[in-house]
Amino acid sequence: MNDIEVQYFAVLRERAGVGRETVSTAAATAADLYDELAARHEFGLPRAMLRVAVNDEFADWSRPLAAGDRVVFIPPVAGG
Amino acid sequence: MDVFSFSRGPLEPARWRDALADPSCGGYASFEGWVRDHNEGRRVRHLEYEAFEALAIKEGKRIVDEAIERFGVTRAACVHRVGDLGLGELAVWVGVSAAHRAEAFAACRYIIDEVKHRVPIWKKEHYADGDSGWVNCERCAATGAQAHGHAHAHPDGAADRHGNEHGSSAPCATEPAPPADYSRQIALPEVGTAGQARLAAASVLVVGAGGLGVPVLQYLAAAGVGRLGIVDGDLVEASNLHRQPLYCPADVGRPKAEIAAERLRSLNPEVRVEAHAVHATAANIDALVAQHDLVVECTDNFRAKFLVSDAVVRALKPAVFASVHQYEGQLQVYRPLPHWPCLRCLWPEAPRDGMVGTCAEAGVLGPVPATLGALQAMAALKRLLGLDAGEAPALVTVDLLSLGTRRLLSPRNPGCDHENPGAAAPVVEAPLELGFTTLAEAFESGLELVDVRESWERAHDPPGLLIPTHLPLSELVHGHAEFPAEGRYLIICAHGVRSLSLTEHLRARGQSEVYSLRGGLAALRG
Repeated sequence: MNDIEVQYFAVLRERAGVGRETVSTAAATAADLYDELAARHEFGLPRAMLRVAVNDEFADWSRPLAAGDRVVFIPPVAGG
Repeated sequence: MDVFSFSRGPLEPARWRDALADPSCGGYASFEGWVRDHNEGRRVRHLEYEAFEALAIKEGKRIVDEAIERFGVTRAACVHRVGDLGLGELAVWVGVSAAHRAEAFAACRYIIDEVKHRVPIWKKEHYADGDSGWVNCERCAATGAQAHGHAHAHPDGAADRHGNEHGSSAPCATEPAPPADYSRQIALPEVGTAGQARLAAASVLVVGAGGLGVPVLQYLAAAGVGRLGIVDGDLVEASNLHRQPLYCPADVGRPKAEIAAERLRSLNPEVRVEAHAVHATAANIDALVAQHDLVVECTDNFRAKFLVSDAVVRALKPAVFASVHQYEGQLQVYRPLPHWPCLRCLWPEAPRDGMVGTCAEAGVLGPVPATLGALQAMAALKRLLGLDAGEAPALVTVDLLSLGTRRLLSPRNPGCDHENPGAAAPVVEAPLELGFTTLAEAFESGLELVDVRESWERAHDPPGLLIPTHLPLSELVHGHAEFPAEGRYLIICAHGVRSLSLTEHLRARGQSEVYSLRGGLAALRG
């Protein structure tokens, strides 16, 4: 199990009810982590509509995770 | 007859009135402006009117045409005197004929107000004490014109609203405006007079004059960017004002791009401001982008954002994008360099409008778009001044609740074709208008029919009452009613002008299944 610092934006933040949280997870990749959290928080957005950044850099969903990584899930927003 | 003309001799309202008569008209409204004997406490003896006629006739015709289209009236005309006029003489005449009185009154009022405000006509008042002075406060406030160095005085009654009706807070210049003072930014070693000259030579297109666009426009105009183009097809709505303080309640229902342009011209008369009161579309975006050095994207919908992204990639122009959601925002700069990502690099699956909340659905506090807009203005100035060298491409996220920012490095997506931007997922635009021959056929379309005419229009039109859903446009614009966010609608008005404008607005807001009845109810019967 790794401790990962997760940050949410926009509709994901609203759904999760928190802007950030530390999760203890067995997820091996960013994709696995999103799927796990989507199930827990009932995120409606499919992964293909989002971007993930790991340690302040946009990453592929297949990116492996390590303890202490900072993961940010970002949906596109359009308000102006 | 010409819809707008000048007359050197006395005006003849009876003759003009007859020219407007039409069997389909049930009403005629007119306005007469007279020379009065006082102004601001001074006795006036007589007046001289002088016009820049070539320009004035062009603008005057445009105003009358706008009134005919906007209010759906049958005929309209305006005649203005030039030359020397005595007390009590008729200085200007406006006449409108229409099926019903309400639109005749409204169009008449519109024409005289706009003529006073937009048409270059100057008036010299000759006072009882022998003194005289050129007067044209409104035009002066609108354009920063310094032609006459006149005394501050108000022309005839219709113009007494100066500075109020249009919400302009700019004081009327009594002396030629001094040149803008950029000393505080020129003092920056990185800017200097060379940097200021670069700004003056620059031309920026701002797409969207809302929560983001307002601060962008204000700061770029104030900084002395030489030319600004404003693209926005929306009208000012009451619900905009809390986050778009360039506008005031008197502006509600008027075109945003035009109001914004007026205000910016007063803010900095040295800036050339061009208003494009249209929505950005696949048909117009390339031509608009081509005329400018840099684009700032400030709309509130994905359709426009991707449209702009594709256009700047094609044109190899830099652009600054931003979006907000409740207390958060995102900022992204695009530069036409090999390793810089466009909007599609970041979001290859072009999101659909309506999928994530807009300001209307999700709510927003004014300072959130204001902050992101200020960041966009800063990014634009940095680009124009060359202060962003060495900056790596990134998406910057800002959370105004926690005051946290993140700079997420975003590389170019090798799968995104910058030679042919948007080809893989073009911005699809369904037709805005649908044509039907009868109301029954429209009912059979499966779309829900919505009548957006005013109550008085419905009252005079029994067949139109067959349409059960009634949402007057004036109530929508003033925020007293909400257009439903879900569903498939055919929007209907008298001539298809107002319904088209509302349809464009709703499409831009992300509603894809709304259509305007082409030609309005008039087309069904004709």
